[in-house]
Amino acid sequence: MATRSNRTGTALGPPQDPAAPKTPAPDRKRPEGTPGTTARTRQPRLWTWLLLPGTLWMTGFLVASLLLVATLALGTTDPLGNPRFGLNFANLTALADPAYSTVLLRSLGYALITCLISLAVAYPVAYAIALRGGRFKNLLIAAIVVPFFANYLVRMYGWSVVLSDDGPLLRALRAIGLADGDTKILQTGVGVVAGLVYGFVVFMIIPLYAAMERMDTSLIEAGRDLYGGPLRTFLFVTVPATRQGAAAGCVLVFLPAMGDFVSAQLMGGPDQIMIGNLIQDKFFQGQNWPLGSALTMLLMAVLFLGMLGYLRRTRKDEAEAAR
Amino acid sequence: MSPEALPPTRRSFLRAGTAAALALTTAGCGFATSDDPAGKATAEAPIDVKVDGDLVYFNWADFVDPSVFEGFQKEYGVKVVQSNYDSMEGMAAKLNAGNRYDIIFPTAKWAERLATGGRLRTIDHSRLRGAEAVFGGYDYFADPWYDPRSAHTVPFTMYKTGIGWRRDRLGDLTGSWEDLWNEKAKGKVFVLDDRDEVLGLGALKLGLGLTTGDRADLDRVTDTLRSLRPRLRGFSSDSYNNLLNGNADMTQAWSGDMAAMLAQAEDPSVFGFEVAREGAPVNSDCYAIPANAQHPGTAMLFIDYMLRPENVKKNIEYIGYPMPVRGTEDTYAALVEPFPQCLVTADDLAADLFFRNGDAAGERARDAAWTDVKAG
Repeated sequence: MATRSNRTGTALGPPQDPAAPKTPAPDRKRPEGTPGTTARTRQPRLWTWLLLPGTLWMTGFLVASLLLVATLALGTTDPLGNPRFGLNFANLTALADPAYSTVLLRSLGYALITCLISLAVAYPVAYAIALRGGRFKNLLIAAIVVPFFANYLVRMYGWSVVLSDDGPLLRALRAIGLADGDTKILQTGVGVVAGLVYGFVVFMIIPLYAAMERMDTSLIEAGRDLYGGPLRTFLFVTVPATRQGAAAGCVLVFLPAMGDFVSAQLMGGPDQIMIGNLIQDKFFQGQNWPLGSALTMLLMAVLFLGMLGYLRRTRKDEAEAAR
Repeated sequence: MSPEALPPTRRSFLRAGTAAALALTTAGCGFATSDDPAGKATAEAPIDVKVDGDLVYFNWADFVDPSVFEGFQKEYGVKVVQSNYDSMEGMAAKLNAGNRYDIIFPTAKWAERLATGGRLRTIDHSRLRGAEAVFGGYDYFADPWYDPRSAHTVPFTMYKTGIGWRRDRLGDLTGSWEDLWNEKAKGKVFVLDDRDEVLGLGALKLGLGLTTGDRADLDRVTDTLRSLRPRLRGFSSDSYNNLLNGNADMTQAWSGDMAAMLAQAEDPSVFGFEVAREGAPVNSDCYAIPANAQHPGTAMLFIDYMLRPENVKKNIEYIGYPMPVRGTEDTYAALVEPFPQCLVTADDLAADLFFRNGDAAGERARDAAWTDVKAG
C-alpha cells in the first residue's frame, strides 16, 4: 500500500481512535475488593513499557513527518526545485484560490456519498456473515479481506480496463441493448465514487462484523419475545447495538476516501478531480513541495474538524454506557 | 521483438503511484544541499575507465533490453544491480536523500538541474568508443542547452509530442494543435496529465514561448485551454491504452508511446499520429553519472557498451524510442513505418522546442496556471 502514502493527512486517521471506544475499561469491571495490590501497581508500569515501541514508532514516523510537512508549508523552493525551509506565507495565501475550495467540497461530497453507499453495502454483508455465517464465518471474512491484499492501484487500473468504452462490460451491455454507443462509465462521477466504494468498503465491513459478532443475540430474542416484529427488532435492537461499529467504519472509509487520488485519476475526468490529485500534482508536477504541504495541512484541518465531531460523539456514548 | 516487452506506459501508469518515493524521502529527508565545494571537486575529477565494482543502475523500469544487460555482465564480469524510478521527481528525491547510483538517465531539463547543482561527474567523451557516432552524427548534442559541450552527459533517447487519433472514427486531421478542438471528437479527447505538455500546447497554438513564465502569456494560455476543457474527457498520460481501448478518439501523446502502441494494435491502420505545424515539443534522456557514484569506472564501461551499434539497435527495438546514434536511423524508421512522424530528426532538434527550467517566479506562475486548467 505504499502507493497511498503521500496522503499523509488521511493515512494517519484510521489507527488513531476508532478502536479505542470499543475496548472495555477493565478497571470498572473488577470487583471492588480485589486482592493483590502489588499486581495492580506493577501492571501499569508493564503497560507503559509495552507502549514504548508504538510510541517511538508514532513519534518517529508520524509526528516527525507531520512536523516536517507543517514547517515545509512555510518554505520555498530553490532554483533546482528542491524544497527549502523558510518563513513565508505565500503558500497559505495561495490556498485562497477558489479552485481549491471547489475541489475540496467535491472531495467532501464524494467521501460522504462513498461512506453512505459503503454503509448500505456493508451492513447486510456483515450481518449475514456474523449472524448467519455459521462455520463459514472465517472463510467468508477471508474471502472479503484477501483480495484487499493486492495493491489498490493495480486493482483500480484493472477496473479502468474492464470499464473502458470498448471494454468487456460495455461491449456486453451494448450487445444486449442496455447501452448505446455514447454510454460511458469511466470519467464520470459515478465511476469515481464506485471506485472509492470498491476500494474502501472493506473498512466498513470489518468493524461492523466485529460489532455484530460481539452483539449478544439474546437481545434479538428478547426483542422478539416482547412482541417486536422483525423490522422493529432490527431497528430498535440490532441497529443501536451496532451503532459504534458503523461509526468506526464511517471514519475508516471517510478518511482515506477524502484523500484518495487514484480513483479520480483512473476513473475520473476533468470534472471529477479531487483534492488528492491536486496535492499529488504539487509534489510531482513542477515540484512545488511547499504548496503541496500547505494543501495537505488544509486537508488535514478539514479532516480534523470531522474527527473532532466523531470523538465528542463517542465520548458521549461512552459516558452514557458507563452510567 | 516481443511486443509485450515494450514499456507502454512508463510515464503514465505508475505516475499515480509515485508517492512511494516521496514517503521514503520525506521520512529520512536531508534536503541535501547542492553547494558542497568538496563534492564539486570530485565531480570534476576524471573517471578512471575500468571495472571498479558492480553497476548500480537507476532508470525507468524496463528501459534496456535484458539481453544487453546479460552481455555486459558476461563481458565485464560484473553484476547490474537494478532499481527503477517512475518519475523524474522521484529520481531527484532519491538522489537528494543521499542514495548512491552509478548511472542515471535524466531528461534534458533534469540533466541541467543536476549538472548546475554539481551533482554529476564530468564525462570524457574521448574515452567512449561510440561517442563519435553520437556527437558527430547529431551535432545538436555536441553543445546542447542543458549541458554545455555535453560535459556531464551522453544523450540516450529522444521523443516528440504530438496527437494520436483514431483514423477510423475521425478520418484525416489537419496537422495542427487546433485538431484537439475537432467537433467530431468532442468528449473523447484526452490531453497528457503533464503540466509542461498541456501549457505547452496552448502556448504553441498561440505562438508564445513553449515554457513561458510570463503571467500575461499564461493568462492567454489558460483562456485557450479553458475553451478546450469542456471538450476533454480527461487528463491522462496513458495515451496508448486510451486509444486502444476506445476511451479516446484523440489524445495528446508522446511519440515513443505511439511507437509502442503500433506493436500492440491488431490493425495499426486505424490509428494515426501527427505532430502540429505550430511546433512539436521535443525531449531527450541522457546517460549521467552522479557525483557520489561508487563505481563510476564501471558506469563509463556501461555507457561505452550501450553505444555499440548492435546494442543500440537492440534497445531501439525493445523500447520503441529512437536514439541519436549515427547508423541506427533505419532500424527505428522500420519500426515506426506507419507513423513516420515518430522520427526525431536533426531539424526537430534544431527547432529546439525543449521544456526548459524557469526561474522561481515563472515556475510558480506556471504552477498556478496548471491548477487553474486542471481544477477548472
